[in-house]
Order: sequence, then structure tokens, then C-alpha cells
Amino acid sequence: MRWEVLALALVVGAANWGFRYLPIRFGLGSGAEGGMLGRFLASVGPAAIATLFVASALPFVAGGALLAPVPGTVAVVAVWLWRRSVVLATLAGAVAHAAGFALGL
Amino acid sequence: METRQETFAAGLVTALPIGLGYFPIAFAFGVAATGAGLSGWEAAALSVIIYAGASQFLALALLTSGAALPVAAFTLIAMNLRHVLYGPALMKAAGAGAGKRHAWLWAWGLTDEVFGAALGEIARGRRFSEAGMFGLGLLPYAAWVSGTVAGALAGGGALAGWPVLEAGLAFLLPALFLALLLSILTRPQVPVIVVAGLACVAGTLAVSSTAGILGGMLAGALAGVMRRARA
Repeated sequence: MRWEVLALALVVGAANWGFRYLPIRFGLGSGAEGGMLGRFLASVGPAAIATLFVASALPFVAGGALLAPVPGTVAVVAVWLWRRSVVLATLAGAVAHAAGFALGL
Repeated sequence: METRQETFAAGLVTALPIGLGYFPIAFAFGVAATGAGLSGWEAAALSVIIYAGASQFLALALLTSGAALPVAAFTLIAMNLRHVLYGPALMKAAGAGAGKRHAWLWAWGLTDEVFGAALGEIARGRRFSEAGMFGLGLLPYAAWVSGTVAGALAGGGALAGWPVLEAGLAFLLPALFLALLLSILTRPQVPVIVVAGLACVAGTLAVSSTAGILGGMLAGALAGVMRRARA
């Protein structure tokens, strides 16, 4: 194994661990219930999930195939409304998208 | 609404779609890494030690382009800076008294998807627990590492003969994020979600996907602050 690959992995991995753990360890944001920071942190979750959904879906429409994500998206929403299960809704979305792809959408 | 505590087993079940989504992406990473000249051990080491999808693909580009080590490290670290917000947001949602004794270990698994799933479970009434976080984090990590190893062993073009399967697997992560979004959706959060989505599109088109993600999260969270400040 080349040393530069291992060194890069160790430096970036250590930073990732710090980003994920240290804010919890030092209680950043705790005790900020009514303040600006508390409101900010309460909104980070929905904002992050919305952003990551858009970011992961953009490549599907960026190529001009606007109909491509429709079957999968409809399936996710329908199964979520039916069963309220994230697992089932996700799997149904993937199956519907594959079916749409097979049909040439 | 459920009020049960999240268990290790329940965390594993919740993590199932994340693991299913991670495996093919990690597989693609393993294929790309060996195609870029890395050994199977080097590909596996990147997944075991870094464990952050987009930055690992960027690491391949930086390593093969001959970028200086400090420049490559700084670029990859900056890309993952958003993770700083996840721990505090999760602990705030978990409420006062939420355990963090073993956070030094389970926080390693706090990726974008695991963070979203953990929030979704809390929104659905499951009480936060460290055992649940271990269950939620373990399966995706195992899927990421094993997918990388499988991809490195398979080599290029392994999924080329299965385009329908490849298409379905490629849609797993958007489907997961949409399902997570539905699971936490409430009327007061609609402005936050709309602003975050629009800012993500604008940032991606104007700058890069990394800027879009960071900008979307910050803009959405700021929209939440502004809305509640006016309320």
C-alpha cells in the first residue's frame, strides 16, 4: 500500500471522525433551546434531508430525461402514504424506477 | 404514535434501505478505484478509514491527478465540513438526557443518510438510544466496506450486463431521502424544505454539487430561524 494513499486516508478520516463526534462530545448547541442557535439546529435536520434529496435527484433530470424519476417518486409517495414505512417506500421506489427504465422512460 | 425506545435490532431494520443503497455505490467506488490504479487494499482502506462517499470519489481524482497531499487533504476535509452540524442537531432532537457515553464510536457512522434516518425515527416517536445508533450505523458501514471490496474484486463493467438492476440500485438513495423527508414532514417545516431545495439547485448550477449541498442546508436552516423569529 502506498504511503500517500494511507496518509491521505488517515488525515481525512481523522477529520471526519472529529466532525461527527467532537460536537457531540463537547455538547455544542446544548442549552440553546430558545435562542437563535437552538432554532438553527432544529431546522438543520429538515434542511439537510431536503437538500440531500434534491442533490441526489438532480442527476436524474440533469440529462434531460424529465420523466425518468416520475415512477420511482410516485411509488415512494404512494407506499409511504399506504404503509408509513421508510423501508418499504424506499424499496418500492427503486423497483418502480427500474421498471420505468425497462419500459424506456 | 410510537413511544418505544430505539433498539439495536430496530436500528438494523431502519438501516436496511441505507445498506441497500450504499452497497452498489461502494461497488462502483471499488470498480473506479482499481480502474484508477489503486490496489484492492488501498480501495478498501479508503472506505474503512474515510467512510464518506463523495469525498472518496474525489480522492480518486486527486490521487490520480497528482495533487499535493496537503491540497488533497484540505479539499476532502472541506467537503465533509457539513457533518459538524449533524451531531448537535441529532442530540437536540433526542432531547435532554440523551446518552452520549459511547458516541466516540457510534458517531463514526453518522453519515448523511444515517443522520436523516435517526431524525426520522425520533420524529416517528421512537426514543433515542445509543444501542439504536449502533444498529443504525453498523449495517451501512458494513455495506460500504463490503461493497468496495466486491467492486475492487469484480473490476470494471461488472454491472454493465444488468442495466435494469443498475438503474434500480441507482435510485435507492433519492428514494430513501424522499421517504425520510416524508417521515419528518410537518406544515411548519415546509418553508425550510422549499428554501433548502431551491438553494441546493442554485448552488449546484452556479458553483458545484458540494456548494449546493452546503448552501442548501445553511439556507434552509436560516429560513427556519427567520420563520420562527417572526412567529
